[in-house]
Amino acid sequence: MRPLDWIVLITSLVSIVLYGLYRGRGSNTVDRYLLAGRSMPWYAMGLSIMATQASAVTFISTTGQSYVDGMRFVQAYFGLPLAMIVICSTVVPLFYKAKIYTAYEYLERRFDSKTRTLASVIFLCQRGLSAGLTLYAPAIVLSVILGWPERTTTMLMGTLVITYTVLGGIKAVTWSDVQQMGVIFLGLVVSLVTVVVLMPASVSFGDAMFLAGKAGRLNAVTTHFDWNDRFNIWSGLIGSTFLFLSYFGCDQSQVQRYLTGRSIAQSRLGLLFNAVAKVPMQFFILFIGAMVFVFYLFVQPPVLFQRAELSRIERVGAFQPVAEQYSRAFEDRRQAALALVEAHHARDAAAEESRIREYRAAQKQIDGARAQAAKLVESTGGEKGFSDTNYIFLSFVTRHLPAGIVGLIIAVIFAAAMSASSGEINSLATVTVVDIYRRYVRREASDRHYLAASRWATLFWGVYAVTFAGWGKRLGSLIVAVNVVGSLFYGSLLGCFVLALAFRRVRGTATFIGMLAGEAAIFSAFLFTGMSYLWYNVIGCVVVVATALAITYLAPGATATTPGMRQSV
Amino acid sequence: MPDEPPPFLGTWRRVYMAVLIILCIVIAAAYWFTRAFQ
Repeated sequence: MRPLDWIVLITSLVSIVLYGLYRGRGSNTVDRYLLAGRSMPWYAMGLSIMATQASAVTFISTTGQSYVDGMRFVQAYFGLPLAMIVICSTVVPLFYKAKIYTAYEYLERRFDSKTRTLASVIFLCQRGLSAGLTLYAPAIVLSVILGWPERTTTMLMGTLVITYTVLGGIKAVTWSDVQQMGVIFLGLVVSLVTVVVLMPASVSFGDAMFLAGKAGRLNAVTTHFDWNDRFNIWSGLIGSTFLFLSYFGCDQSQVQRYLTGRSIAQSRLGLLFNAVAKVPMQFFILFIGAMVFVFYLFVQPPVLFQRAELSRIERVGAFQPVAEQYSRAFEDRRQAALALVEAHHARDAAAEESRIREYRAAQKQIDGARAQAAKLVESTGGEKGFSDTNYIFLSFVTRHLPAGIVGLIIAVIFAAAMSASSGEINSLATVTVVDIYRRYVRREASDRHYLAASRWATLFWGVYAVTFAGWGKRLGSLIVAVNVVGSLFYGSLLGCFVLALAFRRVRGTATFIGMLAGEAAIFSAFLFTGMSYLWYNVIGCVVVVATALAITYLAPGATATTPGMRQSV
Repeated sequence: MPDEPPPFLGTWRRVYMAVLIILCIVIAAAYWFTRAFQ
């Protein structure tokens, strides 16, 4: 980091936080603190939803994912527009008319208190873990740039986020998201332009696309069906539709966003904006990762992208032959890539085929050397299952981008992470106060009391998120980890809401048992099969619905509604 | 909370159809992209 980078970074962060607090002033009632007085326009909600979902993980991990595995991950978002349409036509008007603070309040009106409480607890567990991962991502940034331990940076980021979240309400969070998305779009465009400009003069943009394609990095759509393949068009269209139905229909961190809308139409427009913009944005980010891969065909990347671990194993004698093999393989791959481009220009199919074989053979050598280096990390006291996917983009940014742009990219990552984390913590506090505290601890208290309780709950969940942030480094690619954690819980929540909306005869006890069965099925799939996480949501939802329907129709007497069970708070 | 018609295309059903059409175009474009550079 050079002085100009520090100026850009500090200016960006301070202006974002100050702007958010300025727009969020007057959040002095529970309604204003948690729902912005239901006054937000569609574009603020739409951008805020994108910012919350995107977070720092999107920049750090998605680009790395594309570097090592290509663009297949974009398919995981194909179900999002389908889910948005379902949410807009069913859940949005229902929640608005119910005038609720949380999605789980509706479950008590429809079923009973125990179903509401179970759904709330599932949300608190799942989102609490995700909040930890959201904080861990920017900690990686600081550890790479400043060489600080990740634990220290997690604590620092957590303290900043907690302070910011407690002071501002959801209005502050939402408006700062709007500004952050502007910075994010700018950062994305600047990143892509810069990586293309940094390519060797003999390699055009078309050549870069050609090389990325031959290396399997532009594989955006895979039509082959495989249960165990995480990303293909089928898991994307079916599995991810269920994931996003759960995320936007049952996850308070998203529901709370569109409950702040000034009308049903404004909320629908915010969600549909997300439906249209999200897939192209994800495609664009993955494409940047693919271009970073091509850039590193001509500029030798480090054997490992995590600087601290690399420095450690460089002192081990066994590293030297690995580094030599890596350098030889890199040079072979570079020569093969240049020859491949020449053969492509000359339209010489036979030469092209031969160069592709050389190119892929060299790539295998490089992958082999990196795998040996990773093993060396593990065998010399490093973490088990070492992965440097999350460090690839950051390593590129800090080593190769010019002064000022580095600061901008880092500011984007920080701002997005703080925003996403504060939104999560805000929603966790809302559920804690509305669904647990106000329901079971203090049923009748003043608005001022509940506002104070909301601030204390925000503080609690902030500390919880910091504590669980240490999990991140054991979960490989962060972007996948966030979705895996979500998928362990979302299916049951979705099944619960499907029952609430589509099956009027089903009552609370049947739903409650169904949710427990759904969770058991999901954890069985997670622990005992290699199935893609996108299918967990389908399995969980189907098991919940099937179990509740079976109980309702096979043992109707066992689930009769008892007097008072369906009272609302 | 009043429901309003969308600001374009007249009805929400048409807006949803437009979103579906955009999704189909995006997937088709991504498929073409994959095949073209495979």
